[in-house]
Amino acid sequence: MRDVYVVGIGITSFTRLEYPLSEIAAYPAMMALRDAGLAAVDHLYVANMGSGRVNHQTGLASAVADTLSLTPAGAEVIENGPASGASAIKAGFLAVASGAYDTVLVTGAERMREVNNLEATDFVATLTHPIAENIYGVTLPSLAAMFTRLYMERYGVTERHLAMVAVKNQNNALLNEFAHLHQRITVEGILDSPEAMTNNPYVSTPLRFFDCCPVSDGGACLILASREMAEGLGRPLVRIAGVGQATDTHCVHEREEPTDLLAVRRAASQAFEMAGLAPSDVDVAELHDAFTILEIVESEEVGFFPKGEGHLALERGETSLEGRLPINPSGGLKGRGHPVGATGVAQAHEIVLQLRGEAGERQVADARVGFTCNFGGFGNNVVCLAFVREN
Amino acid sequence: MPREIYAYKCRRCGRLHYPYRMVCKNCGENEHNEFDPVPLPKTGTLLTFTELHNPPSDFEVPRLRLGIVELDGGIRITGQLEIGEPRIGMRVEGEVGVVRTEGYDNRYGVVFREA
Amino acid sequence: MAVDLEKILRPVDRPMPPFPPKHMTIASGEEMVIRQVGRDEIPDVLPFIAPLMYVERDFYDVVAARVYSELMAYYKHRVQDEYVLVAQIDGELCAVVNGRMVTEDVGMSLHTLALRRGLRIGAHAFAAKMEYHMDILGHKEVLVVAESPIGFRRWMIEYDLEKRFDIPHELGGVPSWALTRELFERARDTLVVGRRPVPDDLIEKARAGILPPSDPPTPPEDLLAATRSLYDPTGTALVLQRWRQEGKVGG
Repeated sequence: MRDVYVVGIGITSFTRLEYPLSEIAAYPAMMALRDAGLAAVDHLYVANMGSGRVNHQTGLASAVADTLSLTPAGAEVIENGPASGASAIKAGFLAVASGAYDTVLVTGAERMREVNNLEATDFVATLTHPIAENIYGVTLPSLAAMFTRLYMERYGVTERHLAMVAVKNQNNALLNEFAHLHQRITVEGILDSPEAMTNNPYVSTPLRFFDCCPVSDGGACLILASREMAEGLGRPLVRIAGVGQATDTHCVHEREEPTDLLAVRRAASQAFEMAGLAPSDVDVAELHDAFTILEIVESEEVGFFPKGEGHLALERGETSLEGRLPINPSGGLKGRGHPVGATGVAQAHEIVLQLRGEAGERQVADARVGFTCNFGGFGNNVVCLAFVREN
Repeated sequence: MPREIYAYKCRRCGRLHYPYRMVCKNCGENEHNEFDPVPLPKTGTLLTFTELHNPPSDFEVPRLRLGIVELDGGIRITGQLEIGEPRIGMRVEGEVGVVRTEGYDNRYGVVFREA
Repeated sequence: MAVDLEKILRPVDRPMPPFPPKHMTIASGEEMVIRQVGRDEIPDVLPFIAPLMYVERDFYDVVAARVYSELMAYYKHRVQDEYVLVAQIDGELCAVVNGRMVTEDVGMSLHTLALRRGLRIGAHAFAAKMEYHMDILGHKEVLVVAESPIGFRRWMIEYDLEKRFDIPHELGGVPSWALTRELFERARDTLVVGRRPVPDDLIEKARAGILPPSDPPTPPEDLLAATRSLYDPTGTALVLQRWRQEGKVGG
């Protein structure tokens, strides 16, 4: 398999966008094409989860290829729930690595705010098992909440640790002009003050308002190319060094060990193996913090910290922007926002920005190896990517 | 007539599955109809729970209590809880009833009470 | 003559005990003060509500237009028994709520308008109103409606309000819901929040004047401006957006 490089990146603001979904997907693609200096690509992948249900638009990839005037290049939509973004990158990676195409455009987009909040939550709840979970009124926050309760019981994670993740990520997002939330919060305000219960009410006990990511619209794009193309375009050489993916049981109650995220562990280990790297080699990571508990647990399952000690590393400040291993310098899903199909690509966008040294005020010094974890469903389909800077 | 929730027992290796899956997770040997439905036990231990403050729009209640129960025999199930103060490890007892109404359709599932 | 005419046109307000100001720490760690404003301060509040009439999302346009008219009517003595509370952070206006006394026993909540978002300020402001009706005015129930789905979820569903569909709410005949004393007592922990008395420095800053909101909802100039600025070599796109919002350039 050939080496695959990221030669162009683009992103929209994550907020509420009043543009049609195909434009939200196309805009960052246009930016990425300009970044790369390309006028055409061999193929497109579009990552998206809700176009049919929320936006009444199917065949999204064809619409995107047309609006960008990239026809007759082939195009498909890749849907993998919240992991659509990384899955689309994986599809693009395999397409270039196999030699089938020299340039592939991967764009992820979602327009969830076309409908109201209640409908958006119901849409995400379609990820649950229809007969064994959905009929009970189970939504993703309730699954995350039950998982959190067990994790707190078993490993001693507290509401304070969750609040620390929320504060860290939301404050990181202040340095990210594309992020959804630009509001400083403090642990005092969301946890300690006498009014904390109004400021930060429960969504599903023990998870609270600031433990859950916002509902956002947005798009992000990566252009992947072979080494020859990358060298020819004269862009910084950022290579996708490793890709890993694993699935797990659909029903959360059927997981082998209820406090494990096995799919994360397996996907990460595959990605590191392909890259020939270890977790300790990673300089900066973007993990999937749709709920604050997930950042803590993923940091353990991918191998950055021993199982059950992620919250201790958080306490020591190791994962803050100034720490030894900054996690979610962009603000993560919590601060940057979570347009479901775009997130996986946005995570990669941030890592490429960091490895290129173009992350401005939130630049992690000497970032050479980056890692992303894109968490689909509630952990039943996870895709991990490892990136390295070569020159 | 009391309703049951069924697990599916592989005819070849006897492994129980809940919910239904097409191919046995243990032996992978059987065709999809080679499962026998076996009613699940109604008693078990509460593994974890939550009180959902934002239930889906069709539930006309402000809160919904949900939990994962480890039934006697080892199969786990998700269900609604009618328990004032749930605790991890509490003994619970379930009954099958209407748990959600979608339009004109009733969906049946398990509601657990303290045993 | 003019005075006699005004006497006929002007409703006579019933006595209403004032709202004792309170303060709370919000999610950002800042201190917020909620206090009542009289007619004399309404002209200071109105200019900050007017621009929201042009924000087309989340029903800001409808709510702002209605709040403007209710506050103006209060100021001009053309509505009976209305009260207005404001929430301020460092003097800056961040929410306006209002309501009316219908009878000695029944109050009517009119509107809740938040000028800073993402910090649950609307929740604090709404709670302050309910406390005012129940604990200070001694009402037995408060009639509530919601224009936006957000309001509906946060109040009707959250507090399990009772339907009073036979009573058309003043805001235009939409069916009313009611917070009864029983529901209020059940939710007392979440509806009576904040601390009294307000420390001197905070209340003096709040009373000194109503300052403009620093981050109110505005119609976006160009939502993709942040990306355009990357490829605009002079970085003017983002700067232009900011200048337009600050009123430095037209268009």
